[in-house]
Amino acid sequence: MTALAILIALSPLTGSAAALAGAPARLSGAVQAAGAAASLGCSLALLVILDGHAPLLAWDGFLDVDSLGGFFLMTVAGVTLLASLGSISYIAAQEDSGELSRFQVRLYFTFFGLFASLMLAALETGNLGLLFVLVEASTLASAALVGLEGRARSLEAAWKYVIISSLGVTIALAGTLFLFYSGSALHLGSNLGLTWPYLLAHATALAPQSLRLAFLLAVVGYGTKVGLAPMHTWLPDAHAEAPSPASAMLSAALLNVGMYAIIRFLAIAQARLGDTYPRAVLLSFGFASIVVGALFMVRRGNFKRLFAYSSVEQMGIITVALGFGGTLGLYGALLQMLNHALAKAVLFLSSGDVALRYKTREAGQVTGLLAAVPVTGAALLLASFAVLGSPPFGLFLSELTIVRAGFAHGSPVFPLLLLALLGLAFVPFARTTAGMITGNAPQLASPYRDRAAVAVTAAPLILGLAALLVLGLWIPAGLDTALRHSIAVIG
Amino acid sequence: MESLSATSVAGVLLDLSGVLILLLAFACLASKLFNRYVVYYGAQSVVLSFAAGTAAVTFHSAELWILAALTLAVKGVAIPVAARRLLVTRLALKRDAAMSTGLSTSLIAGGALTAFAYLVTRPALLPHGTVAAAVVPLSTAVILLGALSMVVRRHTVAQLIGWLIVENGVFLGAITLVATFPFIVEAGIFLDIVAGVLIMVVFVSGLTRQLAEASAVELRELRG
Repeated sequence: MTALAILIALSPLTGSAAALAGAPARLSGAVQAAGAAASLGCSLALLVILDGHAPLLAWDGFLDVDSLGGFFLMTVAGVTLLASLGSISYIAAQEDSGELSRFQVRLYFTFFGLFASLMLAALETGNLGLLFVLVEASTLASAALVGLEGRARSLEAAWKYVIISSLGVTIALAGTLFLFYSGSALHLGSNLGLTWPYLLAHATALAPQSLRLAFLLAVVGYGTKVGLAPMHTWLPDAHAEAPSPASAMLSAALLNVGMYAIIRFLAIAQARLGDTYPRAVLLSFGFASIVVGALFMVRRGNFKRLFAYSSVEQMGIITVALGFGGTLGLYGALLQMLNHALAKAVLFLSSGDVALRYKTREAGQVTGLLAAVPVTGAALLLASFAVLGSPPFGLFLSELTIVRAGFAHGSPVFPLLLLALLGLAFVPFARTTAGMITGNAPQLASPYRDRAAVAVTAAPLILGLAALLVLGLWIPAGLDTALRHSIAVIG
Repeated sequence: MESLSATSVAGVLLDLSGVLILLLAFACLASKLFNRYVVYYGAQSVVLSFAAGTAAVTFHSAELWILAALTLAVKGVAIPVAARRLLVTRLALKRDAAMSTGLSTSLIAGGALTAFAYLVTRPALLPHGTVAAAVVPLSTAVILLGALSMVVRRHTVAQLIGWLIVENGVFLGAITLVATFPFIVEAGIFLDIVAGVLIMVVFVSGLTRQLAEASAVELRELRG
């Protein structure tokens, strides 16, 4: 089992190795996708093996995978596979058109693999210090992707991203220190004492005052990575300026990794402090993010910024779901994370195709997408519906679960407010994407070399949408048990 | 691991180092010259490595010794020297003009944040009489001051130094609070900082060059 866990984290590095060895974009991308597929296969196998049994524990808690970790590994590995597939034609087309030099292409695949591998490793460690190290390292690797294009705008976005996220994660480290300090009574001498399962099991011995501070700092710190308002300011810039497959990785994988860290802290905080305080913190940040995300979507302009603000809103919804708590709330939150990851990956990957064909990232200059590029247009349309929470896609089901969790837990004000805000967010998002999809189709030159490249572009879109549709109609029994076991770990 | 008492020799030394580190953070906040930022940051790191050495003697910890040495070599010498070279020879930066508030305002805000740090961490959090009760408010104040200098300064280099000061504040807290991070984690944190500085320097130079080119283009367009 240990070997399986190592394989999950290391497989994406195959793409980095290929790029470093000097492979061209298509080959690096194909190797990258194969690595990601191996990683996804291993994480599915691990999830099946774990199936409610004791977590995989090795090396003094430095390696520690339970059902919750397994669920996140599956999500991130799945997104990595979609984004790797999307990278193949996108980066190759950019190389052909001369927008990216060979050096930049190599840089892209090197850091792409590293980024994926670091995120997967972060989900596999039980040691809170190592979690910080890996999350910060993944920030640095992804900053290189954001600044890849080297224009003044992308450098500025990369700078903003790296400095704000690094500060945020450093604050999370301060939170981790206060968590350890709250456990002074436990004499946390051994490495095993610094792992989150140990702290959760001994939560009653933690000092409440410093634990309260620790939880707040962790939410602010890792919340910066999640893109919770008001720490979200790096997010729209970074998502807009990164190459589209990298934006998909940021939005669908990285944000979930931040959320994973928050969930770990939440479990410990709830075990000692009860529900009231963590709930207040999460609901405040969650609703602030939904409001900010919805309001900034009103401005038309760069469509990748629109999707980015939608991510802020979605992360707010997930945070609110965690705040509602209970089995229903956690179930909804985890399901929403998986669904959002799939939908956002499809949206960003199709936005990459749009940007290549129309040679713009401005929504106002894109019309007639459905007629001009039927597959991408349909994918964008369907994924937009999915992200807005309309049936028959998965997000409808998970948002319904979250609202039900809200009604089940206390005052009906919060779930009603959530519903109202979801409606508010619907309008500007739908208006912009509808404008892109309908209208007269312009004559577009294909940016791809051959038909095979076009097919490769469509593959991750179709895969992602199919998964979303399945999750909306029916939750596979295996996924349901995995979710229930994950909740048992933290609740 | 038992907590150090504030009246022991090591406790007094750690407390003193904490005060010096806070003063150097204030000095950085009050300065307007890029050179000074770097010098103050280097001095702060030297004091920090002294504090780590003190903790190493007290706890008989070889790992803390290595850490003290690394702090001195990387944060005290390598980063300041490299930053100086970058600033003076490559970018020719001298005075930092991109501030959103005046110096006196930011100093007053710094004072307020220090008071706030004491207010938050002092009362119930920490048992009285331990060195942690004395140093943790100081390290919290250093974290807040570093964050403040990132907020009031718009220049990328100044923000980078601000982040490094925050990092020093966390490190100071780590020495006195727990001092039990396994070595591999501490080494990882170091590696992150070094990699972070490297990648940030790449962005800083890229941005500065782009801005220089942009303004040169403007100058050409206005001619004639």
